[in-house]
Amino acid sequence: MTLRQSMAGLHTWGGLLPSWLLFVIIFAGTLACFDKELERWMRPALHTPAATAMTATDVGNWVQANVQAPLHAYWLHGPTEREPYWRLGWEEDESGTRGRVAFDLRTGRPMPETVGGEFFFTLHYNLQAGTAGMYIVGLAGMFMLVALVSGIIVHRRIFKDFFTLRPQANGQRAWLDAHNLFGVIGLPFHLILAYTGVAVFVASYMPAGAMVAYGGDPLAFYEEVQGGYHRNELNQPPGQFAPLETLLTDARERWDGAEIGWIIVEHPSDASAVVSVRRFDPSRIGSPQDALSYDAFTGELLHQQQAPAGYRAYIWLVGLHMAQFGGHIVRLLYGLLGLAGCAMLIAGTGVWLRKREGRQIRGIEIVRALNGAVFFGMPIASLALLWANRLLPDTLAERGAAEAWCFSLAWLAVAVFAYLSRRQPLGLSRRLSALLAILALGLPLLNGLTTPEGHLLASLARGDLMLAGIDAVLLLVGSLCAWYSLRSPQTKKPAREDTRPAARQQELAP
Amino acid sequence: MILFAFALAYLAMLALCLAMARHHRAVFNTAPTPRRQRWLRATASGLLLGAALLNTASSGLAIGLVIALTQLMFAGVTVGLTLAWRQRWVVPLGALLGVIGMLSAISGG
Repeated sequence: MTLRQSMAGLHTWGGLLPSWLLFVIIFAGTLACFDKELERWMRPALHTPAATAMTATDVGNWVQANVQAPLHAYWLHGPTEREPYWRLGWEEDESGTRGRVAFDLRTGRPMPETVGGEFFFTLHYNLQAGTAGMYIVGLAGMFMLVALVSGIIVHRRIFKDFFTLRPQANGQRAWLDAHNLFGVIGLPFHLILAYTGVAVFVASYMPAGAMVAYGGDPLAFYEEVQGGYHRNELNQPPGQFAPLETLLTDARERWDGAEIGWIIVEHPSDASAVVSVRRFDPSRIGSPQDALSYDAFTGELLHQQQAPAGYRAYIWLVGLHMAQFGGHIVRLLYGLLGLAGCAMLIAGTGVWLRKREGRQIRGIEIVRALNGAVFFGMPIASLALLWANRLLPDTLAERGAAEAWCFSLAWLAVAVFAYLSRRQPLGLSRRLSALLAILALGLPLLNGLTTPEGHLLASLARGDLMLAGIDAVLLLVGSLCAWYSLRSPQTKKPAREDTRPAARQQELAP
Repeated sequence: MILFAFALAYLAMLALCLAMARHHRAVFNTAPTPRRQRWLRATASGLLLGAALLNTASSGLAIGLVIALTQLMFAGVTVGLTLAWRQRWVVPLGALLGVIGMLSAISGG
């Protein structure tokens, strides 16, 4: 067995089995490129710009007044260009319960709850399933690396077929061309993003070395690696807090007027409380790691983070993955190449299916059902989430959770439908495309009815291209899906009628 | 500037593509002569270098190279997809992108 033959099996099965999981991860990651734009879309109070008198102290007072349980920490972030509002998050000391609130700058009060664009970001890195999800995503990422490298080995004509796409060819040929086109041209992107994606949580995936070297104490490892600072609790009542504003002014002076990012207050109900201030600088690939830590009561500067070179290299890799640098153009290109990654996965399962269509093996129906359930289910569920965001009343308790339920139930419904229609793949994809078209085209209309300042005409008139862009993309996607579901069905020769010699057939093997 | 750089990346990918006999035949009905192949490949390298320089000049070395590389990949996918479904448009699209890119570069975009 040659290397290429042995890699072919690995690529086929190591690629097929995680491909639906990878589609969810990559599609969510593509949407997460625009998480902050989606967040603003999902919060109508942010549709028009507002000046603010709200300060860090106001946000700090709010958390002290509204959260009764003693806090382990709370963290806040001021308005930025992409996120024009105050954000607050906290973790309770004993239960570890976390909360988050976004403030309307006009009223200074919390905005109606929503999962926001962050939903897709969390879905991307842990499938909304906490630590277990993070490990599953890591495993999927490693499988993606295996599939990419084995794919390079099994591809016979990587340069000769670089631009080749023959949509009119027989089924398997066309799908293989598409799989190769999106995979090979986007290969540097897929490789780098899969690698850096796995690298983000490398300390959790491969903890053994650090656990041995640091006596089983991961916190000691992180503190030393990051050059960070931590003050142990004294178990004494806190004193009088220094105003946050003076600390921020001091930080700005030390950084020559740089913007302030996250402000973290650790154990605020203890005498050991520390305020850490981080710099916000989206002009570099790796965000600067030079946080300032102050005593929360005296305002004395306790520590200035000096990240070791190794950690800065790690942060650079993470930054390359997260695409928070270089403005909208970088996120747009990452988003487009992310879609190329999704297309590569869809075409890959297409090759697998077409190759086996002639033989009636049982796996075919499972793959078809999974294709319908995931490749259509995930986008339809995402649109259902946006619909729920506009339709659920603002006053609803647990509004964010209700949105997430709409996402899950819509997906479940599509999955059941896909399973029931697994024997009519063409009808299935046409019906689900039609549903996708209705949801995508209806959303800008619904947006026009429910948000006076957020619909396409208003945002275009304001020159607010980021907000208008979301509706425009929805219209484009909706029109494409409508075209696909309405066009007359094509009759294509099934692969088994292929009469070419066996030698040529062999060449088609992925 | 970014649009102009993208136009250069598209034209570079187009030149590389047309230097291949199969695609040259599809667009111009004849196979390219070896001389023409060399000329197309040399042009493509020049355009690639130009795109990278434009991006690094406008966004700095590190971010400029990230933009140049992602742009190049997207340009390649665009050439491939255009060639598959709208073969006749692949060259005019290059000219159109070039003109738009140049106009936006002149107007300081």
